[in-house]
Amino acid sequence: MIEETKDNTYQKELFDRLKKSVSLKKEEECFGCFIKPAFWWLIDKPNPKFSEVESAMSASCPYLKKGSGGERKGCVKSLFEVIRKCSRDKKLVRFECEANLHGFVYPIVQGDTLYGFMGTCYTKKDVSPQILDIFSAFTDTIVREVQKELELSKLYETIRPRAIALSTVHTVHRLISSTLDLNELLPRIARLSLQILRASRCSIKLIDSKRKILLPKATVDLRQKKARLKKVKVGRWAPGKAVKFGRPIRGHDYLATPLIDEDVIGVITLYDKIDKKPFTSFDQEIMTTLAEQAVIAIKNAQLYKEQEKLTMGSIKSLAKVLDTRAPGAYVPRASFLKITLSIGQEMKMDSNDLKSLEYAAILHDAGEVLIPYEVLTKPTKLTGEEYRMVKEHPMAGVEIVKHMKALKTATPIILYHHENYDGSGYPKGLKKDQIPLGARIMALVSAFEAMITKRAYRVMMTIDEAIDEVKKNAGTQFDPEVTEIFLKVLKRKEIRVMLEKELYGH
Amino acid sequence: MDIKNLFRSNIHLKIIKFFHENQNSIDTPRGIATWIGEDRSTVKDALEDLVDLKILIAHRATSTTGYSYTRDNKLISKIEKFLKKTNPA
Repeated sequence: MIEETKDNTYQKELFDRLKKSVSLKKEEECFGCFIKPAFWWLIDKPNPKFSEVESAMSASCPYLKKGSGGERKGCVKSLFEVIRKCSRDKKLVRFECEANLHGFVYPIVQGDTLYGFMGTCYTKKDVSPQILDIFSAFTDTIVREVQKELELSKLYETIRPRAIALSTVHTVHRLISSTLDLNELLPRIARLSLQILRASRCSIKLIDSKRKILLPKATVDLRQKKARLKKVKVGRWAPGKAVKFGRPIRGHDYLATPLIDEDVIGVITLYDKIDKKPFTSFDQEIMTTLAEQAVIAIKNAQLYKEQEKLTMGSIKSLAKVLDTRAPGAYVPRASFLKITLSIGQEMKMDSNDLKSLEYAAILHDAGEVLIPYEVLTKPTKLTGEEYRMVKEHPMAGVEIVKHMKALKTATPIILYHHENYDGSGYPKGLKKDQIPLGARIMALVSAFEAMITKRAYRVMMTIDEAIDEVKKNAGTQFDPEVTEIFLKVLKRKEIRVMLEKELYGH
Repeated sequence: MDIKNLFRSNIHLKIIKFFHENQNSIDTPRGIATWIGEDRSTVKDALEDLVDLKILIAHRATSTTGYSYTRDNKLISKIEKFLKKTNPA
């Protein structure tokens, strides 16, 4: 039945194309010169009914138009017999009609399949076999040409949507591979899934460490401003079942696709297509491919996060070791770290630069470990030699951290965090933009920290006194732009509260 | 540029037609240029015009930008009517 429908469609399209074929029209005109006043017809069925032959003929045949009922029937009957003979033999058949006029029927075949007929009538003289041979050869070529065009167009119609779908999958892969931040990645996967499947809601859940609960990690709901975040037990509802059985679970208005690496790590669930149609097997196929891409990106982001935790752990351990020498000097207070990173964010530093700034904020004074304790804690003015030792600490800091590859990008901040904006700092006397932005930020925050915390060599200032001091030195010691942002950050209530709590305990 | 003017521009029309026929597609400027047989840089500018008009959605990442079709059913119906007028067959 399906084959029959396919054949019928093919046949219809073939005849539609033949009717529009310029080559066929030219052929009719050309052969019409030899056999005029003929008229041409096409029958788009291999076994036409009597009534179908009658209707194909009566539209054009002058004899049928003006003939009586009996004459008409006789004429169509004779032609109907000729068509049946042509159908059996699959060869051109010549005939003479009731009105003693001549014509022929030509079968349109491909291999063993007969699709229909082409023919002519109303010729006064019988057409010579030589002309018919040429006609057959020409028509055969034209039919083949039309069939080839049709097959090519069918091939194009089949391949193009698949190629477009493949290109979509490739684009999605590029879009989700470009971030290693899970907080950015998961909503992105959800939005892309919604877009591709034209759904209204997408939820991504990841399995917990005990493998019992699915934790909601990203939900995008285009109908509601507030997305619902629900935990789901493994085995319950469509997402839980998809995880339990490790295969997609599809219903009329939902499609849950498991995220499978070596084991199931989570599930992407889509709800409600915007055209209200049900999710199809094609949707399921697309989502399975997308989930395969997503799981790689998620695993990469998770590994990267683990790696970052390891790096941060090592840095904090190093700071802790250094801190045993002068407690409080190397493990930064959370408020100073927050101020430093907030300035970086306000100055539109990217995530990599912010990470370097964070590492440098923890270890910028690591080199002080090489300065004798008596010098570090000396309450009076340093001698020339002592000051030389202090000035060497940024280089010493770089020496300490240079073996940690993850800190490579933080080293310029560590090296130049005592440079002054006007060039009066150390170790290189760099000016303005010659000093890396991270180092300009670090210079200000570490100076501010030194002003408001207890140091042997200076009187502790209040926060407001230190702010005034920073303002006074903007443009000389500190970058004026960084100063402006620093003042803006310090006006934030949560920062001020955090700072006061850490410094004064209230 | 409003929607009516867009339909007078061949390149915008080609892009809209592509996405209207392939509403599940997300593609880069290069991919779209291939599908509609046009130059990539021209396509890139036209894509941004269509994003401004909310006919397309831009999915921006550091390495590339993917473009996809609007989800606004009213706008899609409007485009459908325009496309039928442009190409009644």
